Amino acid sequence: MEIIESKTWVEWLITIGKFAFCFVPVLYILLLIPMERRGAGFMQDRQGPNRSYIKIPYFGKIRLLGYVQNMCDGTKLFFKEMFAPKGANKFLYYVAPAIPFAIVFLSPCVIPWFGPMVFEWGGKSVRIAGSIVDSDVGVLLLFGLSSLSAYGAVLAGWASKSKYSFLGALRTSSMTISYEVCLGLSMMGILLLAGSFNLTDIVNWQEHHAWGIVVQPVAFFCFLIASIAETGRAPFDVAEGEPELVAGYHTEYGAMQFGLFYMGEYSHICINSFLIATLFLGGYSVPFVTTETMQAHMGGSLAILCGVLAFLALAFLHMIYRYSAKLAKRAQSNRLEILQEYKLYKLIAWLAVVVFVALGACAWLFYNPANFVVNGFAVGSLATAVGTALIHLLVLVVKSVFFCWVWIWVRWTLPRFRYDHVMHLGWKIILNIALINLVVTAVIAKLVGGN
Amino acid sequence: MRVIKQKPMTLGERLYIFEAIRGLWTTLKHAARGLFCYDSLPTISYPEGQPEVRNTYRAKHRLMLRPDGTPRCVACGMCAAACPAHCIFIEATQSDDPRIEKRVMRFDIDHLTCVFCGLCVEACPVDALRMDTKVISLEHRTRDEFVSSLFDLTNWNPADYPDDKQSQMAPGGTLNKQALETWGMEVK
Repeated sequence: MEIIESKTWVEWLITIGKFAFCFVPVLYILLLIPMERRGAGFMQDRQGPNRSYIKIPYFGKIRLLGYVQNMCDGTKLFFKEMFAPKGANKFLYYVAPAIPFAIVFLSPCVIPWFGPMVFEWGGKSVRIAGSIVDSDVGVLLLFGLSSLSAYGAVLAGWASKSKYSFLGALRTSSMTISYEVCLGLSMMGILLLAGSFNLTDIVNWQEHHAWGIVVQPVAFFCFLIASIAETGRAPFDVAEGEPELVAGYHTEYGAMQFGLFYMGEYSHICINSFLIATLFLGGYSVPFVTTETMQAHMGGSLAILCGVLAFLALAFLHMIYRYSAKLAKRAQSNRLEILQEYKLYKLIAWLAVVVFVALGACAWLFYNPANFVVNGFAVGSLATAVGTALIHLLVLVVKSVFFCWVWIWVRWTLPRFRYDHVMHLGWKIILNIALINLVVTAVIAKLVGGN
Repeated sequence: MRVIKQKPMTLGERLYIFEAIRGLWTTLKHAARGLFCYDSLPTISYPEGQPEVRNTYRAKHRLMLRPDGTPRCVACGMCAAACPAHCIFIEATQSDDPRIEKRVMRFDIDHLTCVFCGLCVEACPVDALRMDTKVISLEHRTRDEFVSSLFDLTNWNPADYPDDKQSQMAPGGTLNKQALETWGMEVK
């Protein structure tokens, strides 16, 4: 009882509600798959998959800009038959795909999603950390958890009883191990400067000094390359290089077992991009504005946020109107169906514009947290804290989505490296650069007189 | 024999990272084109949007018609002789028109065997056979349906060929009346 009464209900609500952030990597899969498929299409001057539709009675067909295709593919994977090859180790074979996917729910626990919420409630000051687990080992915990996903690949390769799977698993494990060294070492510089393993402290340091990418540009590049390699994506996808190894460690998998590997890979990308955004791009902090300034002008900040969202909706509208005009002139037999669908988008986007503008104007005019006093204490400070958290979360999402795009972008641009080149790059180049960077950072930090 | 000397890579190229960034810039331009100028992409959404076909394209055949509506074909068999795939089958019979010796009773083209070389069109002495229908996709349920009969080959609309004088002389065309006067007689 004591532990329950040590916090008020609002604190408990927010603390438990934070567990919902476990699902962020899974939600990112929903974003990343269409981004990858259509992005790849655009880079190759194609349209990308956009043909599947949902038929809505009395309205027409809805394609959701090609999103329906991914739902169809997911459904197909889900309802396919699960099978194991003859002679496979059944238990390990079925457990292996679950490992990388289960890790996904654990690894985001130390990432700070917003700055510590400090507000007054019931007459006392309350502080709630932005991460699910506000641990001082922080980033080490994340590394420990995310490197466990290599077990999935190793077990899959071993249990499938196939030489291609086995070779793929060997390559994956060796690559994960070698690049994790580079990953850890290139990160050390920023940890040295911030003087903490706690990610909230690191973001706080960046907010008050400079972003990690400014003070540690070399480390940023090393970290980016190493984390692309660690996720096993092109150009480092030697583990599943189709000309050599069919599909690597998931050669023998089909249906949703393959789907789990696939989703595990995408979530890994998501977590790594959150990590890069947090370590090197100031995490949740808004560029050029400190959290204190933002909280002092909460109404204005929210108004600017709404303005940006309204601008995005208007840009979307501009695109839809242009496509509609072009499409109406074309001799395409299904153009009326598509125009009908565009009408829906126009309606939604116009509604969004109106709502955002109204919200922004209300926030600008009426929301002044200093005047917000009810029953003798400032309730507004909770609202300010929630508003700050919202802005922080959105900023972090924007940064991480950019890095997710970098993953896709690199994959569809660079050709695959040869296996020995990958090892050469990891052990002889990136590791050395990271070490030198660490030494130089340490010397400079000592000379300048940091901690 | 010509020996081309490969230029050795410069330091910037051997460092890879700058060339990689150049490549990333190229793909970024293409991605931006797809995102912001989606309508300018060179692909068409095929079954709904059809590609533009030139009228010199060798597509499905058609048989030209005289002003009175009979096929211009005189059943000489030149096309069948010229055909490298042996896909044209002709049976001749006596013509109703006293000025003309023969007419076709059966004129079948098997489009599964046809190689669309256009030699039949070249061979035809009376300009009866053409390949300018612009039908580029033939889809049917059974093999038999791919064999175009005389009815199928003559069943075309002059309105689809507005610039072609010969097609306009067929029944339903703009020049039909005039041409019929010149042609002179009606078939009983």
